[in-house]
Amino acid sequence: MGFLNLLINGLIEGLIIALPALALTLVMGINRFPNASAGDTMTFGAYAALGLQHAGVAFFSVAVTGALLAGAVLSWLCYRLVFEKLSRAPMVASLIAAIGIGFVIRSLIGLIAGHDMHTFALPLVRAWNLDGVRILPTDLAIAGVAALLLLLVFSWLKLSSSGRQLRAVADNPDLAKLSGIRSRRLMGVLWLLSGALCAAGGVLLGMKAVVMPELGWEMLLPAFAAMILGGIGQPVGAVVGAVLMGVAQELSIPLVGPSYKIAVAFVVMLLVLLVRPGGLFGRVEKVR
Amino acid sequence: MRTTASQKIITATALAAALCAAPGMAQAQATFRIGALNPITGAGSPYGPGMQKAILMAVEEVNAAGGAGGRKLEVFTEDTQTQPQAAVLAAKKLIEINKVQAILGTWSSGVTLAVMPLTDAAGLIEMNVSGAPAISFEDKKDLVWRFQATNDRFGLAFAEIAKKRKFTRPATMAFNNASGRGNTDGFTKAWTAAGGKVVASVVYEPNRPSYRSELQQVLAQKPDVIVTGSYLPDTTIFLREWFQSGEKTQWIIPGWAANPELVKALGPEITEGLISVDTVSSESAPSYKNFDAAYLKATGKSASSNVYAAMTYDMVICLALAMEAAGPNATVEKINSKIREVSNAPGKTVYSFAEGKALLGKKQKIDYDGASSKLDFDKYGDANPDFGVYVIEKGQLVRRDVVTVAPAPGG
Repeated sequence: MGFLNLLINGLIEGLIIALPALALTLVMGINRFPNASAGDTMTFGAYAALGLQHAGVAFFSVAVTGALLAGAVLSWLCYRLVFEKLSRAPMVASLIAAIGIGFVIRSLIGLIAGHDMHTFALPLVRAWNLDGVRILPTDLAIAGVAALLLLLVFSWLKLSSSGRQLRAVADNPDLAKLSGIRSRRLMGVLWLLSGALCAAGGVLLGMKAVVMPELGWEMLLPAFAAMILGGIGQPVGAVVGAVLMGVAQELSIPLVGPSYKIAVAFVVMLLVLLVRPGGLFGRVEKVR
Repeated sequence: MRTTASQKIITATALAAALCAAPGMAQAQATFRIGALNPITGAGSPYGPGMQKAILMAVEEVNAAGGAGGRKLEVFTEDTQTQPQAAVLAAKKLIEINKVQAILGTWSSGVTLAVMPLTDAAGLIEMNVSGAPAISFEDKKDLVWRFQATNDRFGLAFAEIAKKRKFTRPATMAFNNASGRGNTDGFTKAWTAAGGKVVASVVYEPNRPSYRSELQQVLAQKPDVIVTGSYLPDTTIFLREWFQSGEKTQWIIPGWAANPELVKALGPEITEGLISVDTVSSESAPSYKNFDAAYLKATGKSASSNVYAAMTYDMVICLALAMEAAGPNATVEKINSKIREVSNAPGKTVYSFAEGKALLGKKQKIDYDGASSKLDFDKYGDANPDFGVYVIEKGQLVRRDVVTVAPAPGG
């Protein structure tokens, strides 16, 4: 039974990380830089939901929706004001700018909301105990929301016209432009989506843990790792990578103990990359 | 005696002339400079302002009694922001610009460990209320004085409390840093030395979104109590998860994690019955009673609301008594060497600076018993305060017991 409980814990952690990992990999695949401000966009989302709750929004679902919108707008603004201007500059310029934006967001949150921890006002529920396997209703809700968001994003990418256009831009931006794809509007959609995914990850994380200014920043590295494990620019890969690392980490506890479980997740990543250098779903880039 | 305005003017002029004519006098009247380096903002902000106030109150008391060793005390205040970087900048300013001779009242272990190398290099006295055992061993020149119990002693107190409450199957959970592990290591050492067995122990990583798997490992061994070396955010997360799991066990948690903030975050239902352990002031001592009355008058709050305030108050009194014992114009080194002499036994027990000064004047040995503890410093310069045992009942921390832990051998 212990095994199943660990598996569930790993799945939930993985699904939460999957949201920012997906946002990272989309931006990486299209704008070609690691968006290091994604973690702090998560934090911003969590604080936005918290702020709405404090402002008297009665339904948590409304507060969460508001947070997703706030995260989307913030991310879009970052793109329009900074990253768009840097799109022709070397990748490092955008990376450094993203780190800087992350710092600014984190510091402003600390300045306004303080460095003390906060918690969401949520009802306390006990876990359902099915023969020793404990399932938390909150975890089910978290998994449900994460799965729903992932499903929405994937169907948008695969089924809608703008999703197809986005994939075309990812493949070859110049050719896409020549084919009449208006990439500026498309980029706007991409960054709105990326911000909403990060904010959702932040809120879900805040529901499980506690909300502090470093909340998302601490999750940036696992999200990056999941993206690399899945194959850079591969949406399915990011999600599978995140869940795989989450599960590997928790299942290793009986073997190596909690202090080293994080290392195990990275060992798994290393092993996969040794066999498949492009990641689980990625291709090794061919030199053209 | 009646004086006229013109007489006053003549006196003042004469005084001014005397001062101008004799620049050497300024030297003789030099003050002893103290840096009050407290956590005014940041995580320590509930305590820092009170600590600073207590230092200022003690300095006033010493100066009102005519100063110490022929010198008046002068205070320069700075904020650590409860952050090592900010604390280092503030300490540099105190040392290089204000030329202080002692830095008093650093709160968190991270801050104290960051400031110690600076005070050590400058040969200054450092007095703190931090818990990390490392502070004892890093203090190579014996210039660092700790007024709070070490994490190790917190662990000893936990063992004492677990024994008193007849627990038989304890488990431990520790945050992976010197302070967290110090608590549970101290507990395990004391518990196993008394023949007990620790059924499970987990050291967990900071900043995790969940501690369910860690908790599961510990709960699988059916402990009747879990002893933690933890902080507020992680304690909030694993207590919520523990409650959700529906398992029954008791908890013994350090006071900096199990505090009113924890109750605010989790609500009274989860926190009901938690045992919180923190150091308490020496409440029956006359020195505490005097301090409590003065603190209440100055801040409107009882001294028991801030256990660190009594500690910083004692810092100044100890320092001043050591200055008095060292005599006029003593060096910092000389003063430092007198701190144990005036605080530890043997000697006549005194409870205030004035009392101690009078006896020192008669060349008698004294033993200052402070407001915070008896202040018997061991070979590491660590004091040994008592511990209060609080139980959270309906969201309130109610004190149920006071525990004394025997001082470490070799003191």
